[in-house]
Amino acid sequence: MSTMRVRVLLAGLGVLVGGYGAFLLLSRQDGDQLLNAAVWLASGVVLHDFVLAPLVLGLVVLAARIVPAVGKVPAAVALVVLGTATVLAVPVLGRFGERPDNPTLLDRDYTAGWLALAGVVLLATVVATLLRSRQEKR
Amino acid sequence: MTTSRKDRLTELLRPPTEADFTSRLRSATVAARIGVWLGICFGICFVTGLVSHYAQNPSQPVPFPTSPSWGYRVTQGLHVVTGTASVPLLLVKLWSVFPRLFIRPPKGLRKLAVEGLERGSIGVLVAAAIFQLASGLANSAQWYPWDFSFRTTHYAMAWVAIGALVVHIAVKLPIIRGVLTTHVDDTSYDRESATRESPLSRRGLLRATWLASGVAVLLTVGSTVPLLRKVSVFGVRSGEGPGGIPVNKSAKAAGVTATAVSPSYLLTVVHGDTEVHLSREDLLGLTQREETLPIACVEGWSASGTWGGVRMRDLLDLVDAPRGSDLEIRSLQEHGAFRRTTLQGNFADDDRTLLALALEGEPLSIDHGFPARVIAPDRPGVLQTKWVTRIEVL
Repeated sequence: MSTMRVRVLLAGLGVLVGGYGAFLLLSRQDGDQLLNAAVWLASGVVLHDFVLAPLVLGLVVLAARIVPAVGKVPAAVALVVLGTATVLAVPVLGRFGERPDNPTLLDRDYTAGWLALAGVVLLATVVATLLRSRQEKR
Repeated sequence: MTTSRKDRLTELLRPPTEADFTSRLRSATVAARIGVWLGICFGICFVTGLVSHYAQNPSQPVPFPTSPSWGYRVTQGLHVVTGTASVPLLLVKLWSVFPRLFIRPPKGLRKLAVEGLERGSIGVLVAAAIFQLASGLANSAQWYPWDFSFRTTHYAMAWVAIGALVVHIAVKLPIIRGVLTTHVDDTSYDRESATRESPLSRRGLLRATWLASGVAVLLTVGSTVPLLRKVSVFGVRSGEGPGGIPVNKSAKAAGVTATAVSPSYLLTVVHGDTEVHLSREDLLGLTQREETLPIACVEGWSASGTWGGVRMRDLLDLVDAPRGSDLEIRSLQEHGAFRRTTLQGNFADDDRTLLALALEGEPLSIDHGFPARVIAPDRPGVLQTKWVTRIEVL
């Protein structure tokens, strides 16, 4: 089978599968719920493209100025690890789902957990930077 | 002087163009390599999500298996693990292709239409992917800041996301093939402006992404893998709770604090015209069995416990229910989607399925469903009905 045929078949399959999803989405909820779902769908993209992405751009520009050359690689790795883990932890850090009648839910100190993670990442960054500077001197 | 300052300000404030993004790291060779893993994670998420959705269907033309008892624990654990691992993958992938957002639309109607279609499909994919991960994460922390139905919308958007992903692969197939069969530092597929060397290599960025993905999993997976509880500082459950099992919905939230401990509590077992009424004492007088079975929640946490109580089949024999009959289980809970559940015949007949009265040798706590609850193998937690008041043979 030629590549073009594979692509056309794949695209057709994708449209069918996605169309089924759109049908499920539109046929099982009322107008208000759909409008709310649409707002959430759009908000995710807007938040990423106009808040998170510029924030990361700014952070990288800032870090490029203040981090010494030898520490740039460890700092970049630290940003990827800690940055994505922080985004991931938003629901637990905010404790939005907390319920007074259920002490087994969200039963950790997530702020302390984040600080511990940040501490480990910072320590690893410093150690990696020192190792690299020793290597460079040799 | 003033003009140059003004020029610099306008320069700073103008919307970026694609050419402003000069890092060599934002390359198709990077995006495609992350895309492969993202595709695998989304694929596993989709399949395990379908399993979970089917397991919650009251009507199951193909019976959901009752063995292995930890099956749903594994599939739903994988669902949340792959979703979690996808967060760093998606974020870095979006970063690597971000400049493409600012490519000027081409001239000419035909080209514009083709480009519009492609951008539209990417828009759907990105919106669906972010939505699935964000709504899934919030759900696992029991945070519902929206008005739509989570289950319906998450399920529908899963099909949209996978459909858009397949279209995306079809559109990009030649590039994907090209960049995956060449060295990661190959520049033949790069944008013209992406020439600036950065301290981090492409290989380095990829490794950092795999690391971030692994760390994300470690930070959360303790909610379902007891060995990693201490490491998982972002786990939604530490695993603590009455009898060593966390609680999803408390007796207070279900509004059963009075009815569950009422001395007039009776369990009714109904089959046609035959009805049997049993107090908790009566239930304790029947043959007691012990089974070690996990509670595995749709939110991804799970815990195993040793449950004591009456075998469901023994109860059904009291009303001469034929084998293979589906049951309607009713809870004391007065509101909520799961106050009535269907226990399919194959689950009802399984010897391990209990009407549990005890956990770890202690009477069931009220938050775990006192006076009696269903515990069956390989079943989503929401269907392990608590505070059971009526069992009716359908």
